[in-house]
Amino acid sequence: MPLFGAIGVAGTGVTVYRKWLDAISDNISNINTARPTSAAAFQARYVVAQAVTSPDGTGGVQVGGIAFGSAAGRLVYDPQHPLADAQGYVRMPDIDLGNEMTQMIMAQRGYQANLAVVDRAKDAYQAAIQLGRN
Amino acid sequence: MSDVTVAAIHSALNGLALRQRVIADNIANINTPGYHAKKVGFESALASAVSGGTGAAGADVQTSLEPTRLDGNNVNLDQETLSNVDTGLRYQLMLRAMDNEFGLVRDSLRTA
Repeated sequence: MPLFGAIGVAGTGVTVYRKWLDAISDNISNINTARPTSAAAFQARYVVAQAVTSPDGTGGVQVGGIAFGSAAGRLVYDPQHPLADAQGYVRMPDIDLGNEMTQMIMAQRGYQANLAVVDRAKDAYQAAIQLGRN
Repeated sequence: MSDVTVAAIHSALNGLALRQRVIADNIANINTPGYHAKKVGFESALASAVSGGTGAAGADVQTSLEPTRLDGNNVNLDQETLSNVDTGLRYQLMLRAMDNEFGLVRDSLRTA
């Protein structure tokens, strides 16, 4: 375990949750991105967290990979749309705003929780540095 | 009181202070297009200096090779913030070690 290891471990959590927030904001901003029916729909991105295990006992978490949402999306009838096909359909991404918002709350709380760990660990280490004074 | 100890603690304090300045520089440039984060390393140079019988070692500044964002910048804000916390704690620890060294001098003067 390196010196002040708890801060490093909580830091890996902060990074994963920030990337999760980045992915969610990308999904929400593309929720109305239409594509022609001949192309794949915008695919939502889902961050897959993975535990880090190392022999020296340093744990943590990392982004293990990205899972993609449906490429088929859903067909929406919108004949006025410039990308609409001959039947009047466009391909919209299959993203549920309610699901994205709840995930955003989870990601935000996870980010805050990891930063709280950093704060507490810093206090604990500071107390350890003062150990034996006076 | 060993000269090597004081010199080694002095080198560590210098390296840590430089690291904090570089972190401040990186955070200040978080939105500068094309800016590459800088990293300070002094630990391995200091370790070999101590095993070689001196405590004096310099720090080197290297440019981060992490992947960049679309604007060519690769500063990672949470990494820099956490590194700042870690460096602050290490600095306190080194100050404490220096304080203990001078405590020995104080004790010996008092005894005399």
